[in-house]
Amino acid sequence: MASEVAIAAENLTKVYQSRWSGKTVRAVDGISLEVRRGATFGLLGPNGAGKTTFVKMLLSAVRPTAGSARLFGRNAADPQSRSPIGYLPENHRFPTYFTGYGMLDFYASLSGMNGPERLRRIPEMLAMVGLDNWGHVRIGKYSKGMLQRLGLAQAIIHRPQLLILDEPSDGVDPVGRRQIREILHGLEETGVTIFINSHLLQEVELFCQEVAILRKGRLVLTGRVAELTKGKGYRLSASGVSDELRQRLAADAASAGSNNGFSEFVFPDRANVNAAIDALRAAGCEIESVAPSASTLEDVFVQAVGGASEERPPTENRS
Amino acid sequence: MIDVTTALIRDTFREAFARKIFWGLFGLSTLMILFFLFIMKIDIVEGATATLSLFGRDNGRAMQVDRLVKGVYGGIATFLYTWGMALSVFASSGLIPSVLEPGRIELILSKPLSRTHLLLGRFVGNVAVVALNTAYLVLGVWIIFGVKTNIWGRQFLWSILTTVFIFAVLLTVVVLIGVLFESAALATMVTVGLMIVSPILAQTSTMMRLLSSETARDAWRLLYQVLPKVYDVGRMTLDLVRSQQVESLQPVYTSAMFGAAVLGAAIYVFTRRDF
Repeated sequence: MASEVAIAAENLTKVYQSRWSGKTVRAVDGISLEVRRGATFGLLGPNGAGKTTFVKMLLSAVRPTAGSARLFGRNAADPQSRSPIGYLPENHRFPTYFTGYGMLDFYASLSGMNGPERLRRIPEMLAMVGLDNWGHVRIGKYSKGMLQRLGLAQAIIHRPQLLILDEPSDGVDPVGRRQIREILHGLEETGVTIFINSHLLQEVELFCQEVAILRKGRLVLTGRVAELTKGKGYRLSASGVSDELRQRLAADAASAGSNNGFSEFVFPDRANVNAAIDALRAAGCEIESVAPSASTLEDVFVQAVGGASEERPPTENRS
Repeated sequence: MIDVTTALIRDTFREAFARKIFWGLFGLSTLMILFFLFIMKIDIVEGATATLSLFGRDNGRAMQVDRLVKGVYGGIATFLYTWGMALSVFASSGLIPSVLEPGRIELILSKPLSRTHLLLGRFVGNVAVVALNTAYLVLGVWIIFGVKTNIWGRQFLWSILTTVFIFAVLLTVVVLIGVLFESAALATMVTVGLMIVSPILAQTSTMMRLLSSETARDAWRLLYQVLPKVYDVGRMTLDLVRSQQVESLQPVYTSAMFGAAVLGAAIYVFTRRDF
């Protein structure tokens, strides 16, 4: 039976050591993580947190110092474990002697697709990413956004079960971003596991169901986006609130303030907000909105990483 | 497996022909073929003798046709083996570092193929490009001379094999330096250095007399045995082309062993590198 876990990392560690000085950097420090099949998963972290190294270890481009990684139950070091994987690297450099068609043909061949299958799939892929009129143009003439879409096409041409995307919308305009999101949603509906490594928190929040946050090579937070951003209490916004009433309501509120002429309160529980609504209605105020208060993924992220940027100096270690 | 290997070889061809220097190599071969086709005229005088004329000017000497043909074959084989080889090494030196560029190598490594397969595919592709050019020049000249003199000396065709063989041995050095340092310039320098040092090392008997210390003589012998015998295989090529007896195949064996060891080392390094 096929594994229900798409990615399983256990105590995955990468220590880089300078050949000359002996100084070491723990780029990834004992990460254990599971991504279930069919999930949309975002990997977040400040620059230098170890995200790309983690992804490269999954793909065996970097050899772990300790720990192990499995893809659909197979050891990630086994080349065949990468058969069901599609990957779009950050800062990719596709050879400019390729045409779009030629590039897809090459990478599809490496993914194990045979000739007739490639002949059928390549035009489909070019159309899907909006490059059907560009297939026979050298990619040296493509814009950054076009290259990114072509890169996505090479990642999905062989119908992968797990798609690993490193900054997928980097350099893509808003229309292109939406197009990429729609393609990814389509893949998600067919059960493809999507693993996104991105610094665009809004994008991850829009797309991913689950996230993990890395800091200094360590996993500091993991969970479902909905739960992580679920706030405690309710946010109420109203207009025409007198100063006296505002002060009275603020006494029961977790926080109070004003925004664009509206008075805003966050109450810790439902009883408080109901009492506040009654009081506002009795005073003839207009209630603009009432909603469960939620924090953004950015709030969660900043809290998790402590606002720190991550470029770590190497440490002296000659052992 | 075959599809993947074919894709790697085709990709090497595509990259090679995207570089002007490979077109230059083929252009040079074409020029030589055209030279023998149109400029060099051979008149068979009395069956076995011929006169040679260049740009319409007769050199005034009649010579044995087969000697003339063997002389030309020898000249071409030597040119191909020395200058052609050096140009091929120079042209090929960038083909390994280019595939290791960040942003390109990670994507290839994410595909279900082993690193050994990737490196060997690239190596075979590179050898195939040079083999194509060598075969093009040698076969082109051979056909022209065959038609003009009705002498179809197949010995000349050995030069395709020996030239490609020594190129493949030297290419293993390019590959090793490529995976170690990702430097095309360094790979060219070291490989051309091996070509230059080979005729010097081959003067073993002279050096044994000149060197006073036994250690120095041992070191010389060791270097001669270990390093690829570019010069010796070149001499062997000339002997083959001139239908002379080949004294020993030892230079081929030892050069092949050198190539296998260096390629093995390159694969070892490549499979352990982080990208």
